[in-house]
Amino acid sequence: MQAFESSAAEIDLEPVAAPAPPLGRAIVITSGKGGVGKTTTTANVGAALAAAGKRVVLVDADVGLRNLDIVLGLESRVKYHLLDVLEEKVTLDEALVRDKRSENLYLLAAAQTREKEDVVTAQMKALIERLRERFEFVLIDCPAGIEMGFKNAVAGAGHAIVVCTPEVSAVRDADRVVGLLPGDWRPELIINRLRPHLVRKGKMLSVEDVNAILRLPLLGVIADEPGVIIATNKGEPLALDAASETGAAYRAIAAKLAGEEVAAPAVKASPGGGFLSRLGTLFGGRS
Amino acid sequence: MSGRRIVITSGKGGVGKTTTTANLGAALAKRGHKVILVDTDIGLRNLDLVLGVEKRIVFDLVEVVEGRCQLRQALIRDKRFESLSLLPAAQTREKEAVSEAQMARVVEDLGALADFVIIDCPAGIEHGFRSAIAGAREAIVVTTPEVSAIRDADRVVGKLTAAGLPLRLIVNRVRPEMVKSGDMMTVEDVCEILQSELLGVIPDDEEIIDTTNRGEPVVLDETSRLALIFDKIARRLDGEIVPFTNFNAPTLFGRLFTLWKAG
Repeated sequence: MQAFESSAAEIDLEPVAAPAPPLGRAIVITSGKGGVGKTTTTANVGAALAAAGKRVVLVDADVGLRNLDIVLGLESRVKYHLLDVLEEKVTLDEALVRDKRSENLYLLAAAQTREKEDVVTAQMKALIERLRERFEFVLIDCPAGIEMGFKNAVAGAGHAIVVCTPEVSAVRDADRVVGLLPGDWRPELIINRLRPHLVRKGKMLSVEDVNAILRLPLLGVIADEPGVIIATNKGEPLALDAASETGAAYRAIAAKLAGEEVAAPAVKASPGGGFLSRLGTLFGGRS
Repeated sequence: MSGRRIVITSGKGGVGKTTTTANLGAALAKRGHKVILVDTDIGLRNLDLVLGVEKRIVFDLVEVVEGRCQLRQALIRDKRFESLSLLPAAQTREKEAVSEAQMARVVEDLGALADFVIIDCPAGIEHGFRSAIAGAREAIVVTTPEVSAIRDADRVVGKLTAAGLPLRLIVNRVRPEMVKSGDMMTVEDVCEILQSELLGVIPDDEEIIDTTNRGEPVVLDETSRLALIFDKIARRLDGEIVPFTNFNAPTLFGRLFTLWKAG
């Protein structure tokens, strides 16, 4: 019996039985509110991780309203998508689009003419698991809202990055989303589109104001600048622009995610206007 | 009375649906119309915040649908504009709590109480979108001059057209200096791509961030250029012919057109 088992094991195993590499990290980028910068964040953090030598796949979970391909400038290379893989019409390798600039970066696009309800949560989970076997980072770009698309995007992940802008409505939605994520997660926060001059004038919430409500570990702060719109329209992530300050901020976020010690982001922002009291009453109910 | 029922939608989130709903509603109310705003973003409501009435919510849309209160009990009257009211969304429920048929019924009932029922749609094209458009008779699509927003708007225009809803466009957050330098699409480009009629153009203005955080629609400030712009949009909606502010210099966004061809 023992002999039989060992011979079976010999047949099943690779000739050199190297230990299986550790599974990659699956991280969902989410926000609740739309238009706060999830897709831009996914593209830039992914590009920065890949530029630092990590193997990265970006998954667009926004079925029906995909945009990650545009932000990466890969829209003309997308042939197959997530649902083609889930429905076994093509293999994973056929659907993965390699980035133009980096050998380490891949995109799995969303279907554009299908519905979010077409994705089966269990299949999505299994797909993310397969991607984790092949990539060190699986970044999942979540759709806006908290409907089915959100649930599917979160299903296979083990960690979350919450993107929030310094606006009362975005903070409220982010707070709601944090409450819907698995209770044992410790989501990290990126505050996007900060305008320091408005914070100084008391016309925008400060980083401290936002995090007084959300109370999440701060992964980074990204300033509002027209360069982001230009880069998105061109399909070239700013993270790859060595001269861009915003690019540097994304690279710092990537380094932190990769486990490097990075100094806390330098944000000069005195406390904001009279919003904090408003936020306080608004969120008083959440323990 | 049978008021107009207009849904404000976009596909992409964060392009300004809620801000537009609040300010357009306030501008119409200022012009003497009776206006009811409906927040259909169940679970992620924000229209109450933008209007600054968040502390006055007692009942919500879901409670109306479930028959736990009268429709009139759930309406919150704005203190600054007598003829403006809000039907807030529920915050701790799911979008599926209201079906398309139930939403259509509520909107129809509201039509009997107002000249304009303006429905603030959630982002996306899931169940929340389908129920938000269910009771509407016309649509306003809000977009920004960005490739991703326009692609999403294109999807929504297709869905609205399939549903038989006439629609017009509001192009939001236009930065004239970026249009001039060729770094942003022109309003003409946007209308051309979406093959839709223009209702209004709103420049990017930091003032809106502050007024939204404070819960004071910018329309309240008579000296604001945005107040003037929302008034113009309200007048166009009302059937007046009001000339557009022009941000010219056409640009070629070749990527966009190949994108559309690719479907």
